[in-house]
Amino acid sequence: MAKKLSGPQMIVANRLTDGRVLFLTAEGWAVEPTHSIVAHDEDEVTALLAVANADVKANLVLAVEVVSAEVGEGGVRPGHIKTQMQARGPSVRTDLGYQVSPFWEN
Amino acid sequence: MAHVDLQTGEDVAVWRILEDGALPDEAGEWLVPLGRLKDEAGSLLEEKGVRLGVLIETETPHSDLAGIGNYASFAAIRFPGFGDGRGFSLAVRLRKDYGFNGDIRAIGHVIPDQAQFLLRAGFNTSEVPEERREAFVRAVNRYKHVYQSDAQGGISILRQRHDQADTRRVS
Amino acid sequence: MYAYDTFDHAMVNARVEEFRDQVARRLSGELTEEEFRPLRLMNGLYLQLHAYMLRVAVPYGTLNSRQMRRLAHIARKYDKGYGHFTTRQNIQYNWPKLVDAPDILAELAEVEMHAIQTSGNCIRNVTTDQFAGAAHDEVADPRATAEIIRQWSTFHPEFSFLPRKFKIAITGAPKDRAAVKWHDIGLVLKKNEAGELGVEVLVGGGMGRTPVIAKTIADFVPESEMLSYLEAILRVYNEQGRRDNKYKARIKILVEDTGTEEFKRLVEEEYEAIRASFIDVPAEEVVRIRQFFAPPPLPVLADEDAGLDALAAADFRFRAWVKNNTFAHKVPGHVSVTISLKPHGGIPGDATDAQMDLVADIAEEYSHDEVRVSHEQNLILPHVAKRDLVAIWQKLDAAGLGSANVGLLTDIIACPGLDYCALANARSIPIAQAITNRFDDLKRLEDIGQLKIKISGCINSCGHHHAGHIGILGVDRKGEENYQLLLGGSGEEDASKAAILGPGFDEHGIVDAVEKVVAAYMGERKEGETFLAAYRRLGPDVFKEAVYGAR
Ligand code: HEM
Ligand code: SF4
Repeated sequence: MAKKLSGPQMIVANRLTDGRVLFLTAEGWAVEPTHSIVAHDEDEVTALLAVANADVKANLVLAVEVVSAEVGEGGVRPGHIKTQMQARGPSVRTDLGYQVSPFWEN
Repeated sequence: MAHVDLQTGEDVAVWRILEDGALPDEAGEWLVPLGRLKDEAGSLLEEKGVRLGVLIETETPHSDLAGIGNYASFAAIRFPGFGDGRGFSLAVRLRKDYGFNGDIRAIGHVIPDQAQFLLRAGFNTSEVPEERREAFVRAVNRYKHVYQSDAQGGISILRQRHDQADTRRVS
Repeated sequence: MYAYDTFDHAMVNARVEEFRDQVARRLSGELTEEEFRPLRLMNGLYLQLHAYMLRVAVPYGTLNSRQMRRLAHIARKYDKGYGHFTTRQNIQYNWPKLVDAPDILAELAEVEMHAIQTSGNCIRNVTTDQFAGAAHDEVADPRATAEIIRQWSTFHPEFSFLPRKFKIAITGAPKDRAAVKWHDIGLVLKKNEAGELGVEVLVGGGMGRTPVIAKTIADFVPESEMLSYLEAILRVYNEQGRRDNKYKARIKILVEDTGTEEFKRLVEEEYEAIRASFIDVPAEEVVRIRQFFAPPPLPVLADEDAGLDALAAADFRFRAWVKNNTFAHKVPGHVSVTISLKPHGGIPGDATDAQMDLVADIAEEYSHDEVRVSHEQNLILPHVAKRDLVAIWQKLDAAGLGSANVGLLTDIIACPGLDYCALANARSIPIAQAITNRFDDLKRLEDIGQLKIKISGCINSCGHHHAGHIGILGVDRKGEENYQLLLGGSGEEDASKAAILGPGFDEHGIVDAVEKVVAAYMGERKEGETFLAAYRRLGPDVFKEAVYGAR
C-alpha cells in the first residue's frame, strides 16, 4: 500500500499570465478550492503533481504546491491559513479582493 | 554547446578540459585546473603542439591567480550556476590585477541576459547552448552606453557627458 | 530634482525593451521560471500569494507631480486603484499581470521612473532622508550623492549577482532619518576641516533573522573617491560573502565573521589599488548633478501667520496637525509637511489613485512640484509656505489624508504580511488596524508622545520590527498566527536592537499587551521622558511585570 499522508492534500498554483490562484480539480484548474481533487496517500500526490507539473511545462501555471486540505460539508477547503488566504483574497480591502472584483476574468 | 565570441556570436575554438591525471592525447588547446597547472605546467608543455589554459572555479581566491600569465595563455572560469557572481570579479581581477591579456571564457551555466556583463567584466568568449546563440548576440548589443567605466575600455556615461571627443563604447 | 538626459532615457528604454523580450520568452516557454525569476526580480516583479507584485523605485524618495500622477494612473489602469508605499521608499502594486508588466514599465520610463534593481541580489534603490534639501539641520543634500550611486550601481557588470541583496542608505544630516545603521552600507555626509564634502562609511547593518547594527569603517572618504570606496567594499563582498546559505549571505555576516578590523583592511587594500581611477565621477559631473538639487528659490517669509493661528486656536485637530506633521525648513516661514498615510483603522502606507492625484495637485500648487516618500511610509511636501498650511490641510483632510499622528503611536510601520506576502507567517495590517482603532484618541496619543511601533509578518523584518520602540513580529505557532512583542529598538543615530519581552500573543492579546506596555510607561515616566528613554532607563522588568504579571 502507498505511504499514508499526515492528512489529505490538495494542489495550489498561480496562473502564469497574471498570478491568479488556482486549485487543481477533476475539470482542470479552478479559482475555487471547493472541487479540488484530494490526495490521501503519496501515490495520489505523485499523480496530482504529474498533472500539475505538466501544466508548468506547458507554461500555464507556476509555483505549484502540495498543501493540506480539509474535506467538509461544503466541499474541500484549504487547511493552512496561507492557502485559505489565497482562496479568499486578502483579509483587508475585501472590497477589492477576488470576492467582488470584475477585474479578474477568472 | 557552442563556444562563441561574445561580440560577434561566431564560433571559436573549443578548449578541451584535461581530466585529472590524464595527459593531452593530441596537440591543441587544453584547459587545466588551476592547481594542477601550477604544479605541472612545465612537464605538460613538453607535449608537442600543446597550448595550455587555466580552468578556474568560482570559489578560487583571487590571490591564487597571481602570476597565472606565466603558465596559461587562455583562461576559463566555470560558473556552477548563473547566479554565482564571483566569476565576474575573478575576470575583473585577471584583467585588472594580474594583467592577463589572453582570452577569458565563461563556461558552465551563464545566460544570455548576462552577455554584456560578461564582456564588460573581461570575458571575450562564452560557452552557450546552441539555441541561445542568437539571444546572446542580441543581449550583447542591448545597451549602447554604460554607467561604469571598466577595464575593457567602456567609458561611463558620467564621463562621456563631459568628454564628447571620446565616445568609445563597449560594443 | 534630477532630470534624465538622452543617456539616461536610452538606458531605461533599453531596459523596458529587454524586459519585454524576457517576458515574451517566458510566455513562449523559452525561459523557464527558474531562469526568468532572477530577471523579473531585477525588474521588481515578484510573485505573491494572490498575484504578481510590482515594486517601483522612487529613487531617494523624490517625486514630481507628473510622476505621482503616473503612479496614480498605473494604479487605476493596471491595478485595483491603490498602491502601497514601503519602508524602502518604493511603491508596490499588488495586482499587476505579468503580461502588462512591460507596458507598466514603459509608462514609468516616460516619466523617468523604473523598477530597476528593486529586488534581486544586486544593489537596490538607494534611500535617504525624506526631508533632504529642506531640513534645517543638514550638511548637504544627500540626493545628489544618491543619484551618483544610482547611476554607478545601475546594471553594474560585476555586482549584479551578489551573494544577496544589497541596500545603501544616506543621510545628509547628523540626525538620522534614513536608518543608515540598519543598512548594508550606511553613508553619513560630512565636511572635513577644509570644508570639503565626504562621507562616513558604515557597513554591515541589516535586519532579518540576525539583526546587526552597522559599524563605521571609514570616518571620512572624500566625495570624489566615494565610488572607489564603494567598489572596493562590493568587490570584497562579492568575492567573500557566503553563498552556501542564503540566511548567512548578507554582508553583515561577512563583517561579523571576518571581524570589522580585518574587513576594513581588506576594503582599504582594494581601495588603495583602485582609488582616483576611472571608476570615480569627474568633478564637473558632480557639479552637474548637484545643480539639479539646488534649493528652490523660496522667499524668506514671516514665521507667524494670522490665518494659521486663528484656525489653530479654533480647531484642535488642525493645531495637532501643525504641531506633529510639520518639520522645520531651512528657509524661515516654511516647513516640510508630512502627509500621514496612517489613518486610524487604515492600512499603513496605502494610497488610492485619487489620493495620489490630489497629493500631486497640492505639490504642484504649494510645494514646488515636489513630493517625497519616507521610510516611515508617509508622503512629504518638502517646501511649503506656512501661510498655505490652512488651505493644504483642508484639502488633505477632505480626502481622508488629514491624520495628525506623525511620530505618534499610531504612525505605525507595517509590512504587507500574510494578507499579500508569500513568505509571511502572520498578518501585519490587521494588527496595525486594531492598534490604531484602540488608540483612536488624538489627545491621548499626544500625551503618550513619540512612540514608534513597527510590525513585520515574519522574521525577514520588512516592517523594521527590530528597530521599533515597540516591535511586533508575526510567527507561526502550530499553524496559528502568533505575535511576539519586542521593546527598545531604534532606527536612528542612537540605533538599538529591540529585545523580545516574553511569550507571544494571539491577534487580540498583542493589542492588549501594547496597551499594557504603554500604561506602564505612562506610570513610570519622568517629566518629558520619551518611551524609548524610559525603557532604556527602566529596563524590561517593569514592562514584563505589566504585561505578564497578572497571568
Ligand atoms: C511583499 C513582498 C516582499 C517580499 C517577498 C520581501 C522579502 C524580503 C526578504 C526575503 C527579506 C530578508 C532578506 C534577508 O534577510 O536577507 C526582506 C527584508 C526586508 N524587506 Fe522585504 N519583502 C517584501 C516586501 C517588503 C516591503 C513592502 C517592504 C517595505 C515596507 C520591504 C522592506 C524590507 C526591508 C526594510 C527589509 C530588511 C532589510 C534587511 O534585512 O536589512 N519588503 N524582504
Ligand atoms: S516581513 Fe515577512 S511577511 Fe512582511 S513583507 Fe517581509 S517577507 Fe513578507
